[in-house]
Amino acid sequence: MESIKHFINIISAPYVMFPLILAVFFFIFPPTDRLLAIHKKLRLYKLWTNGGGIALFSSLIIIFAFGLTDSNFRRIVTKPDNVPIAGLIFLVVFFLWWSMKQAWENDERMAQGQGPREAEDAKEKVLVWPDLVYIELIALILCTVLLIVWSIFLKAPLEEPANPTVSPNPSKAPWYFLGLQEMLVYFDPWIAGVLFPTVIIIGMMAIPFLDTNEKGCGYYSFRERKMAVSIFMFFWLVLWVFLILVGTFLRGPNWNFFGPFEPWDISKLEALTNVNLSEIIYMIWLKQRLPQNIFLREIWGFLLIFFYFGAAPLLLAKTFLKNLYARLGSLRYSLFTFLLLMAVSLPIKMILRWVFNIKYIVAIPEFFFNI
Amino acid sequence: MNPQERHYNINKLNVIFAASSVLLLAALVWLFVDDYSRGWKDYQKEFRALEIQKTRLKHSQTLSKLQAQEEYQSLGKVLEAARKDFAANCNSKELGKETAQQGAENDLLNQDYKFTKAGYDAARYRYESAAAHHPEDAGRAKEEFDRLDKKIQELRLAVERSNQAMKDREERSKACGAKLKELERKERVLAKDSRILETKLAKIDPHQMNLANRMADVVRDSPIIDFANPNYKIEQIVLADMREDLNFIDVPRVERCVTCHLGITNPDYKDSPQPFTTHPDLELFLGNESPHPLEEFGCTVCHGGRGRGTDFTSAAHTPSSEKQGEGWKEKYNWHELTHWDRPMSSRPYIQSGCFKCHSGQMVIPGAEKLNLGINLIEKAGCYNCHFIEQYKNWPKPGPDLTKLASKISKEWAYRWIDNPHAFRPDTWMPAFFNQSNTSDPQSVRRNQQEIHAIVHYLFNQGGEFALERMPSAGDPKRGEEIAASVGCLGCHQVTPPEEDQPTTRTLLRRLHGPNLSGIGNKTSSEWIYSWLKDPPQYHPETRMPNLRLSDGEAADVAAYLSGLKNSVYENVSVPALDEKVIDEVVLTFLSKSGTLQQAQAKLLSMSLDEKLDFSGLRLIRHYGCFSCHNIKGFEKDKPIGTELTFEGSKTPHQLDFGFIPIDHSAPAWFAQKLRDPRIFDKGRVKPHDEKLRMPNFKFTDEEVEAIVTVVLGLVKDGPPSKIVPRTMRNLFLEEGQKMVRLYNCQGCHILEAEGGAIQPTVKEWLIRYENRSANEAEAVVPSFSPPNLVGEGKKVQPKWLFDFVHEPVTIRPWLKVRMPRYKFTTTQLNTLVKYFSAQDNQEFPFAEKTDTALSREERQAAEKLFSKDYFDCAKCHIIGDKLPEGSPENWAPNFALAKERLKPQWVMDWIKNPQELLPGTKMPAYFDPTSLDTSGPDDILNGDEHEQIRVLRNYLMTLTDSYGTPVADAPASLPQTPASASF
Repeated sequence: MESIKHFINIISAPYVMFPLILAVFFFIFPPTDRLLAIHKKLRLYKLWTNGGGIALFSSLIIIFAFGLTDSNFRRIVTKPDNVPIAGLIFLVVFFLWWSMKQAWENDERMAQGQGPREAEDAKEKVLVWPDLVYIELIALILCTVLLIVWSIFLKAPLEEPANPTVSPNPSKAPWYFLGLQEMLVYFDPWIAGVLFPTVIIIGMMAIPFLDTNEKGCGYYSFRERKMAVSIFMFFWLVLWVFLILVGTFLRGPNWNFFGPFEPWDISKLEALTNVNLSEIIYMIWLKQRLPQNIFLREIWGFLLIFFYFGAAPLLLAKTFLKNLYARLGSLRYSLFTFLLLMAVSLPIKMILRWVFNIKYIVAIPEFFFNI
Repeated sequence: MNPQERHYNINKLNVIFAASSVLLLAALVWLFVDDYSRGWKDYQKEFRALEIQKTRLKHSQTLSKLQAQEEYQSLGKVLEAARKDFAANCNSKELGKETAQQGAENDLLNQDYKFTKAGYDAARYRYESAAAHHPEDAGRAKEEFDRLDKKIQELRLAVERSNQAMKDREERSKACGAKLKELERKERVLAKDSRILETKLAKIDPHQMNLANRMADVVRDSPIIDFANPNYKIEQIVLADMREDLNFIDVPRVERCVTCHLGITNPDYKDSPQPFTTHPDLELFLGNESPHPLEEFGCTVCHGGRGRGTDFTSAAHTPSSEKQGEGWKEKYNWHELTHWDRPMSSRPYIQSGCFKCHSGQMVIPGAEKLNLGINLIEKAGCYNCHFIEQYKNWPKPGPDLTKLASKISKEWAYRWIDNPHAFRPDTWMPAFFNQSNTSDPQSVRRNQQEIHAIVHYLFNQGGEFALERMPSAGDPKRGEEIAASVGCLGCHQVTPPEEDQPTTRTLLRRLHGPNLSGIGNKTSSEWIYSWLKDPPQYHPETRMPNLRLSDGEAADVAAYLSGLKNSVYENVSVPALDEKVIDEVVLTFLSKSGTLQQAQAKLLSMSLDEKLDFSGLRLIRHYGCFSCHNIKGFEKDKPIGTELTFEGSKTPHQLDFGFIPIDHSAPAWFAQKLRDPRIFDKGRVKPHDEKLRMPNFKFTDEEVEAIVTVVLGLVKDGPPSKIVPRTMRNLFLEEGQKMVRLYNCQGCHILEAEGGAIQPTVKEWLIRYENRSANEAEAVVPSFSPPNLVGEGKKVQPKWLFDFVHEPVTIRPWLKVRMPRYKFTTTQLNTLVKYFSAQDNQEFPFAEKTDTALSREERQAAEKLFSKDYFDCAKCHIIGDKLPEGSPENWAPNFALAKERLKPQWVMDWIKNPQELLPGTKMPAYFDPTSLDTSGPDDILNGDEHEQIRVLRNYLMTLTDSYGTPVADAPASLPQTPASASF
C-alpha cells in the first residue's frame, strides 16, 4: 500500500507527469492522419464508447476511493475550498467523454456515407416553450437543490482575521487562476501575469478568423477537424485544467510540490539551482566570464527569441506546415503561428527548466526584463 | 397543441418537474431545520428543565418551611377570621347594593353638572356676542344666561353634597378593612421568598402557566417568528472598553459564552454538569461584588477563545490533555479551531490569563501556579538570555567569576561546567553539555575541549581576591550551631535536597542561596572565611548580606562549612587537553570572521595558550555564560536568546517543531522546550556551532507547567482599560516587592502574609540546642523567629526604618537570628521604606505631628499604669539594659527604642487592641476593644480609657536606655518624622 502511494507521489510530480501526458496525449487526440492510424491501431477510440466511459469513470472513482483512505489526501480533497475542484475532475471527464462519444459516432456515420446524427435533429421542430424553458426550469430547480444541500454539509471556509504581517502559506490564487499562478513558476510575472492572459483572450477572439474549416458546424466531429480539436484539447486540458489541479492539490507550503499522499511539511526544502541561458553559454560552454555589456550578455537569448518567432514560422511554412500556409494565406498563417508559438512556449519552457535548469532565456534583472 | 410537435414527452417532464419540486421543498425544509436547530438551544432547553426542577424544589422547601412557622400558622388563622369579619361587616351584600346605587346617582349628578356648565358657557358667549353685534337680541340671550346661571348654582351645591357623601362612605369602608389589610401585609412579608419563587415558576414552568401563556410559550420559539422575543436566544455581553484586534479594525469584545454556560454566576448550580456549572471562584471572578464582575470583564479576556462562538468547536475550547480531546471528539464532534490565533487556555495554563493585566505585579494573589512560575523565572534567570521587559535591569543571578581562581580549582570548574547537577542536584546552574543533541561521541569529544577552553579563559582573567587569614582554625561544632541559629538557613540549605520534594514558593525561598552541602570539596575554609567577613569584596553585586559575624564566629562557621563534603567529583576524571580538537574549535570561530585560508594561517601562528584564550572567549559568548555571571571582557554584550516580552502571542507557525511528534500548539512547544531544550534538533543534521544551545535546567513537570503559564501570559493584547493602574502606590509596592524578592526578605520575615521560610530550621535549632521538646518548640517558634512584618508601615517611623535597614541594631536581644547588614544604596533603602508605607496606606514621607508631652499628673498616672500593680509592662519588655525576668520566649522589644522607632498613633492602637494589628501576638490585651469604655482601671484618670492609653503612650515615648533615673517633668514633644528630608 505504502509503496503504491510512494509510486503515485513520484509520478504525480509535474516533471514526470507532464512528459507522460505529453507522450500519451497526441495518441488520444491525434492531430494528423498518421497519428490517427496509430490511434485506431491501439483501439484508443474505445474510450469514447459506453464501455470506455464506464472504465474511465470507474478508474476515477477507484483512484479517489483509494486516495481517501489516506489522511493527507483526505485532508486536501475534502477541504471546503477544494471540493469544487474535485467535482471539476468528474465534470470535465464526463463532458469530454460525452462530446467525444458523439463525435466518434458521427465520424463513423459519415464514414458510412450517412450525415451526422444532428442532421436528423435539424428536421425536427423544437418549441421554446415548453421544450426548452421547461427543461431549463427543471435544471434550475435541481441546481438549487444541489447548492442548498451542499451549503448544509460544507460550511463557509472562513479563516482567521486577515493579518498584514502574516501571509498564508501557501498563498493561492482563486482556483480559476491557479493555471496562471503555476505559470509563474516558469515565467517572469510580466509574462505569466500580463502577457499570457492578454494573448489568451486575443487568441480566442481570433479563432473564428483563423479557422476557415467550415466542417463540423452544428454537430460533433473529430476527424473532420483533428488539428483544431487536438490543439484546443491540449491547451484546455493540459495547460489549463491540469495546471489548476496541480495548483490546487499538489502545491503546498512555499509553493513546493507535494505528492497527493505526502504530508505538507512547511520546512521542506528544494535546491534552487536554476541558471540563465547566458550563464550556460558563457560560463559552462565557453568557460568565460559573463560580459559586462548587457546586450552582449543576452545576445544569444535575443537571437533565440528572434529565431523562434521570426525564423521558425518561415521555416515551418516551407516544410511541415506547407499545406497550412497554402490554405491560410500569409496573414492568417503568421498570426496563427505567432499565437501557437506563444502558447507552445509554456511547455517548452517547462521542459527546458526540468532538463537544463533554465531560468530565463533572456535575463536582464537590471530592467526587470526577463523572458 | 399537437403533442407530436414536442421534442420531449411532456408527461415524463411533468413527473420529473414534480419530483424535483418535491426535492426542492425537502431541501428547503432541511435548510430551515438545519438553520433552526442549534446546539446551544438544546443546552438552553436542558438548563430550563434544570432551572424548573431546582426552583420547584426550592419553592416547596421554602413553602414547607414557611408553613411550619408558628407565626405564619397563627397569622393564617387570624387572617381567615379577619376575612370573614370583613365580608360580614364591611362588605355585605346589602351594603354593596347601597354603595352601587349611591355611586350611580352620584355619577349621574356629576354628569348633569358638567353638561349644564357647558350650556352655561355657550349661553354666556351668545349673550356677549349679541350685546356687541345685535343689541336687539341681547335681552333674550340674557334671559337664557340668567336661567342657566341660577341652575348651575343649585347643581353645584347638590354635587358637592353628593361627593362628600360618597367620600364618607368610602372612608367608613376603609376603616372597616384596615385590620385585614395590615394582616395581609404581614402575611406578604412572611411569604416573600416563596412568592418570588412562585412568580418565577409562573414565568418558566409550563405547568404553572395558564393556557394562553402556555401557548405563547411554544409559539414564541417557532421558526421565523422567533425573531421577536424567544425563550431560547443567544445571550451576549458586549464589552465596549475591551477591544479585539482584527488587524485592520478593532471591535468590542462580544462574549456569548453565557449562551450555554447559563449557571456560571449562580451559586445554585455548583454541582450541575457542564456547561451549567457555577464558576469555581465567584468571590474572585464574575460575582457582582468580586474584583472581576462578569459584565465588565467577560470571559475571553482571561480564558482566551472565541467569545463570539456559539458552539463547542467555534468557541475554540482547548482540552487539557490528549485524552480529554479524544473524549470531546466523541462527545461534541470537537476539532481544533486552527484558524483562531487565540484559543482558550487549557486548564493547566489557565492562570496565564491573569498575567495579561497583572504583569507588573511580583505577586498575584490567588494565582499560585503563576506566582511559582514567576519565582522560577527569577531563580533560573531566564530574563538574562531572553530579554523580558518586566525584568529590565534585574541583576545577574550567578556569582561573579572574575576572581574565580582564588575560589576553586581548574579541575573542579571543569567538572562543574561539565555536569553541575551531579554535584548539586538543586543548583540553578544549567547543564550546557552532554545534552540530547550533543551526546554523539564526536560532540562529546569537542565539548570536552570546549570546557577546557572556557575554564582556561575564566582562570586567566587576572581578578584578585586576597584571602584573609583565619584567626584560628575554628571549631566546626560551634560553627554548626552558629550557622543553625544566626539565619544562614533562611537562604541556604546544608543538606542535599530531598528527592521528589514538590517545588513551592516557600521551598524556593530556602533555596535562595546555593545549597552548601559539599562546599568543603569546592573551596577552602580561608575563602569561606573571607567571603563571610565581607561578601561584596569578592562579588560586588552579591545579594549575600553580611551577618555581622565576629572573626571568631566566622572562623567557626568556615570550619564547619568546609567540613561539609561531597565526593561525587572525586571519581570524575578530567580528560586531557587535545590540541587538535581545540584547533577545530578555533578554526570554526576564526572562519566566521574571515576566509578559511586566513583562518588557517592565523591558527598556525597561535600558541596553545592563545588558542585556549581565543576559543574560551568565543565559547563564553556562544553559550552566553556572561548573561548570568560577571566575566571580564563581556561588559557590553547583549543577551543571546529570543526576546520573550510578547512570547505568549506567538502562534504555532512561528515556532519550529522540527520532527518532534507533539501537538502543534504553542503551550506544547514551550513545555517540550523546557523539558529538553535541545529536542527540536532531533533528526536534524547541523554543524556543531549551529546546534541549539539553550541549557538544561532539569525542570520538573510541575515547574515546566508553572513557567509555561508565565510565558503564555506574556502577550501584546492585554486590555488597556483593565491593566492594573500604574499609580504611585502600586509602583511603590511593585518596586518593594521586587526588592523583597531579590533579597529574600521572606526567607526570614512574614510579609504580605507569606514567608517566614526559616521557621522550620528555628524549630530544629530549638530542639537540638535549646533542649526543647518538639511540641514546645512548635509553640515558641514564632518567638524565636524573625518578626512578622505585617503592619510595619503603620508601626515604625520611616526614618528609623531607613536607618535600621542601613545599619541594624538589636531590638530583640533574645533572638539568636540576626538581621544582616546589606549594602543597600539610598535609593534601595527608600524603595523599602516607601514599600512599607504603601502597604499600610501610610502617608509618605510626611506624617502628622503628635504631641507627646505629659503634665505632672499625667506622668504619675502613666507610671502607675506601667507599674507592677497594673499592667506590669516591664515584666516582658526590655528597657535599655534592663532585661525582664522569666524565660526569653516571653520577652518583648526594648522600650528605649520606642521614641525613635514607633509611630505614636500605632502605639495607641496597639495598646488598645494588639490582636487586631498582629493576630497571635503574646502582648496581652489590657482593654476590651468591644467595650472599651468599661474595661480599663477605674481609679486612674477618672476611669477615662482613652486618656489612660494616651498618657501611657506618651510615657513610653519618654523612656530611654537609662530607665529608672528620674526624668525631667516636661520633656519636649518629639518631632515625628524628623528627617524625612534626608530621603
